[in-house]
Amino acid sequence: MTQPGSRAAGPPSTTERPLPRPDPVTQTFWKACDQHTLRYQHCPICEHDWLPASVVCPRCWSDETMWVEASGAGTVFTYAVYRRAYHPAFKPLIPYAVAVIELAEGPRLISNVVDVPVEEIHVGMEVRLTFIDAGTATLPVFRPAKAGE
Amino acid sequence: MNNAAASACIAGIGHTSIGARLERSAWSLQAESVRNAVADAGLSPNDVDGLITEPGYTQGVFDGITPHFLRLGAMLGLDPRYTYSEVIGGASCVAMVQRAAMAIAAGLCSVCVCVFGDALSTASGTWEQGRGDDAAFGLFGAPGIHALATQRHMALYGTLPEHLGAIAVSQRHHAGLTPHAQHRESLTMNDYLASRHIVEPLRLLDCCLISDGAGAVVVTSTERARDLPQPQVQLVGFGQAHNLSSLANPDYLTELPAKRSGASAFDMAGLQPADVDVAELYDCFTIVVLLQIEDYGFCAKGEGGAFVSDGNLGLTGALPTNTAGGLLSEGFGAGMFHIIEAVRQLRGECGARQVRDAEIALVSGHGLGMNTHATLLLQKV
Repeated sequence: MTQPGSRAAGPPSTTERPLPRPDPVTQTFWKACDQHTLRYQHCPICEHDWLPASVVCPRCWSDETMWVEASGAGTVFTYAVYRRAYHPAFKPLIPYAVAVIELAEGPRLISNVVDVPVEEIHVGMEVRLTFIDAGTATLPVFRPAKAGE
Repeated sequence: MNNAAASACIAGIGHTSIGARLERSAWSLQAESVRNAVADAGLSPNDVDGLITEPGYTQGVFDGITPHFLRLGAMLGLDPRYTYSEVIGGASCVAMVQRAAMAIAAGLCSVCVCVFGDALSTASGTWEQGRGDDAAFGLFGAPGIHALATQRHMALYGTLPEHLGAIAVSQRHHAGLTPHAQHRESLTMNDYLASRHIVEPLRLLDCCLISDGAGAVVVTSTERARDLPQPQVQLVGFGQAHNLSSLANPDYLTELPAKRSGASAFDMAGLQPADVDVAELYDCFTIVVLLQIEDYGFCAKGEGGAFVSDGNLGLTGALPTNTAGGLLSEGFGAGMFHIIEAVRQLRGECGARQVRDAEIALVSGHGLGMNTHATLLLQKV
């Protein structure tokens, strides 16, 4: 398990970070994360794939949505490096990278890029899924892809 | 022109002093700006029959049920024919003026006050809260989402920190010519580059100010405005566009809904970008100015960096922009000060910062991350 951050994981936070609050729309996503899988939604009617979760297909409004497991491969669509903490739980993690990850299957999500100095992160970087424990929640984050991965 | 815009004018403007800490309540600031705007229009409280408010960050909904307009209206002793509180973030102030014009055109009211005011020095940092589950990843505040946009724009188009710096420096120069601006001291490119990163690639000087202050405008029919004392400033076009699908939209972070909102406004007015003499562009962050210059069609997509670095944003440039300093230097007015400055430019009241022969102004609002946008085109009659 890796903390979001860069060179080294900071000291354990004394303040709990804000955690996801699964609701009837998002609970399938978060339950899958607890089991270390990342799932996105798929529409069998129009073949659209998307995140974040919706109650209908955001393209054709069909109810027949299904959850599909992502391969875990993706690229950094963009990222930002926090140099100041807006929440005390993140103070030990500075500088940390928040990123928009584009999954190989198409959907995008907000996440972190971990296990790499923030200076080495770049748009278009190949990344792979991993998970971090954050108290009672499990968060999907991304590390650099290894050669040949 | 057969549209709501053509029938409305901004007949009065008013604001309070603007500062980091004024030791006054948001209500007191709002009331003063309303009083000033109504007096500027040559009207009295009894003439006001419309009230539209932007609740600000320290107010909003009270006790879970009472909306902002209800409490402000009570304090102003108003029983208007039309009222509302607009909540589309930084696009609200422009949207309020549009709503006022539509209400007037529909006959719902005839003299509509639009007001924003806040005392952010008393706020407990509501803008530091994360949105939904994204906070778990440490995505907090408006700087984060705009830093994501900046990084993407830099990667796609080679935009540089110096490009963003040119916007901050130009606007600060304008603020130096604006007696009521919050930050009038000079700012150089070296100062900009030396300012610390907040959320990289955004620096402190890429971010808007945090201010106490209020502004208001009076919207009325063109017919009624003819009998009022101020030079007529007419709404000739407006539009809105919003990106609610956010991350699913591939251009979400590098192309604002300004492109569609602007097209509606220019179409309504029968004008084009080259006709704009003054631009008052929402500038919560420097990158938002750069994106809008591209998306409104003042230059091609990706060429915003070169455009802003060529002196085009100055008072004698191709596109004099944020002529009082904007949110970056004049003060945080959620867009209302942009509208007021546009009116002043068109009236020719701006003294040392007056843009010569200003006849057409574009005012924009951008809000809720990268999601909402509204455009107003104003013309001196």
